Amino acid sequence: MKQMIAATRRDPVLMGLWLSLLVFALIWFAPFVFIVFTSLKSSPEIMTSGAFTPPGALVTQNYATAWNRGGFDHAFFNSVFVTVIKVPLGLMIAALSAYALARMKNRWNKLVLLFIVFGTMIPFQVMLAPLFTLVNSLGLVDTYLGLILPYLAFGIPYQIFILHSFFKSVPKELSEAALIDGASHFTTFRRIFLPITLPVMAALLILDFVATWNEFAMALVILQDADKWTLPLGLMSFQGQFSNEYGQLNAAIVMTVLPAVLVYLIFQRYFVSGLTSGAVKG
Amino acid sequence: MSSVTIKNLQKSYGAVDVIHGIDVDIAPGEFVILVGPSGCGKSTMLRMVAGLEDISGGTISIGDRVVNDLAPKDRDIAMVFQNYALYPQMTVAQNMGFALEMAGHSKADIARQVARSAEILGLEPLLDRKPANLSGGQRQRVAMGRAIVREPQVFLFDEPLSNLDAKLRVQMRAEIKALHARLGTTILYVTHDQVEAMTMADKIVVLNAGKVEQIGSPLDLYDHPANKFVAGFLGSPAMNFFDATITQNTAQLADGQRVPLGARAGEVAEGQQLTLGLRPETLTLDPAGPLQGRVKLIEPTGSETFIALDIAGQDATVVLKDRLEAAAGDMLRFDVTQGRIHLFAAQSGLAL
Ligand SMILES: Nc1ncnc2c1ncn2[C@@H]1O[C@H](COP(=O)(O)OP(=O)(O)OP(=O)(O)O)[C@@H](O)[C@H]1O
Ligand SMILES: [Mg+2]
Repeated sequence: MKQMIAATRRDPVLMGLWLSLLVFALIWFAPFVFIVFTSLKSSPEIMTSGAFTPPGALVTQNYATAWNRGGFDHAFFNSVFVTVIKVPLGLMIAALSAYALARMKNRWNKLVLLFIVFGTMIPFQVMLAPLFTLVNSLGLVDTYLGLILPYLAFGIPYQIFILHSFFKSVPKELSEAALIDGASHFTTFRRIFLPITLPVMAALLILDFVATWNEFAMALVILQDADKWTLPLGLMSFQGQFSNEYGQLNAAIVMTVLPAVLVYLIFQRYFVSGLTSGAVKG
Repeated sequence: MSSVTIKNLQKSYGAVDVIHGIDVDIAPGEFVILVGPSGCGKSTMLRMVAGLEDISGGTISIGDRVVNDLAPKDRDIAMVFQNYALYPQMTVAQNMGFALEMAGHSKADIARQVARSAEILGLEPLLDRKPANLSGGQRQRVAMGRAIVREPQVFLFDEPLSNLDAKLRVQMRAEIKALHARLGTTILYVTHDQVEAMTMADKIVVLNAGKVEQIGSPLDLYDHPANKFVAGFLGSPAMNFFDATITQNTAQLADGQRVPLGARAGEVAEGQQLTLGLRPETLTLDPAGPLQGRVKLIEPTGSETFIALDIAGQDATVVLKDRLEAAAGDMLRFDVTQGRIHLFAAQSGLAL
């Protein structure tokens, strides 16, 4: 650790990289500061103070008002429900499929993988209209299932693709040792592959959580009943109705983003690399 | 412990044949080593015994069961991989107990058996560590521990020592041999290191390009190699070979030097072309000896002296027990130990 710090100090390239990272971080962080500050100011203060001046007196009333006026209790519940089912379920299916494709002998594996990768290449905007027709014909418009199924269909292929290449890189002797030890494929997956995949799974979970939580286009097409709306839809409608209530609008934005930030903070500690080290040598 | 019987074993990957009909009999409790150059099919053969590769032809029996179609876990074998293949997120104890757990043993039973095996290999202090926190030698030992916990009928080892440094390898060689003496389990062991083969095996199987060259005890193969390949493969430094013609009960080399054949003179005909094989340690310094060579390089190891020579236009090596004051370019004469002369047919390479 000390050495790393020393190296950072001396190496101009690292210094440069570090500085540019800092600049990028600031650029990304600026709107967030603006939003949080504004959400805590009263309307008159917003008009009179600069965007980046910290709020004088903290006004938390914006949050309560926005929550009630925007019907966020429904939207929040819908988002949580959809995300909490879709994200873990999708990851599990993806991990199991990726394991099967990487480690179970089958001459169709390559073809199936190709098919899956092909699925990731079609931009989903192209598929929105056909997707609506399909969901509609299944009678699933305005249902959670009608949203979760397309979410799964669009999320899983990427995850399979990434997990498959990860599983492929696990030394095959590890599977073979488990096979000799009498483990079934499922046990091998659960006891050996899953634990060493944790960092990758954590990364995928965060990405997928954020993507699902913020997903707008598909939800807009499939959910028409305002009671079924997810947070991004609720936020949009709120913005349409109360666009001059800056304080409340920004409070609504903060409430929408906060869960994603929390999930990130919770799971980022699983990003520990090198979990396979020590498995094999040479 | 069980016998292992391999009959006419064949393996092909698509159109490529890698193993061309191998027969090996392994008695219960025997320590058999498969040696051969890289790519000759040793690992493939071992993996077929383990059940990790399909068998293209022939049969493999463990005990009196034909195991061709049995799953690896039902063959009652344990395997130690070259790269150890320890489960990274499990502790040493969990690694060792995994097979027992899979077989449905009780927790107490697993703990007892793991403790016993750990004691045999001196692994007790490491039981709670993860593989990442072990040295290479310790990982190797854990891999062996994982194998012996199950008390299998047969141990399969695939180059288990090749990732260790030279000193540790010598130590582990002795330990594996002691382990075999203690447990008495049948062992099938793959290596490309002929020293390992010579020092550890009850029986060596020399493979080359998917075929058996010779099977026998180490010293038997060393003293009576069936052909030039086996003669050249076993022994370090390797046997010296010279093209020779039989002339008046001697083998005459390309430059006219003659090596007397002694008792073996009757076995060959005058004028016959053949290959003369002389092991490096059977040549001794003797100013009146029949062989003369020009020194190319002298390598003193401390206990021995290796001399690289040019004898009759061919490269040769001599190992002397004594120190030697000589320099590159010097001419030296050697005597040949009687009874240690090897003769091979020029074309087929078969021993005469
Ligand atoms: N999956 C495969 N497909 C095609 N050929 C293969 C495959 N696996 C191994 N071979 C070939 O089979 C031959 C034997 O391989 P094997 O791994 O048994 O050699 P080895 O004797 O163990 O060599 P080494 O000492 O280098 O480990 C090699 O020529 C190799 O190229
Ligand atoms: Mg090999």
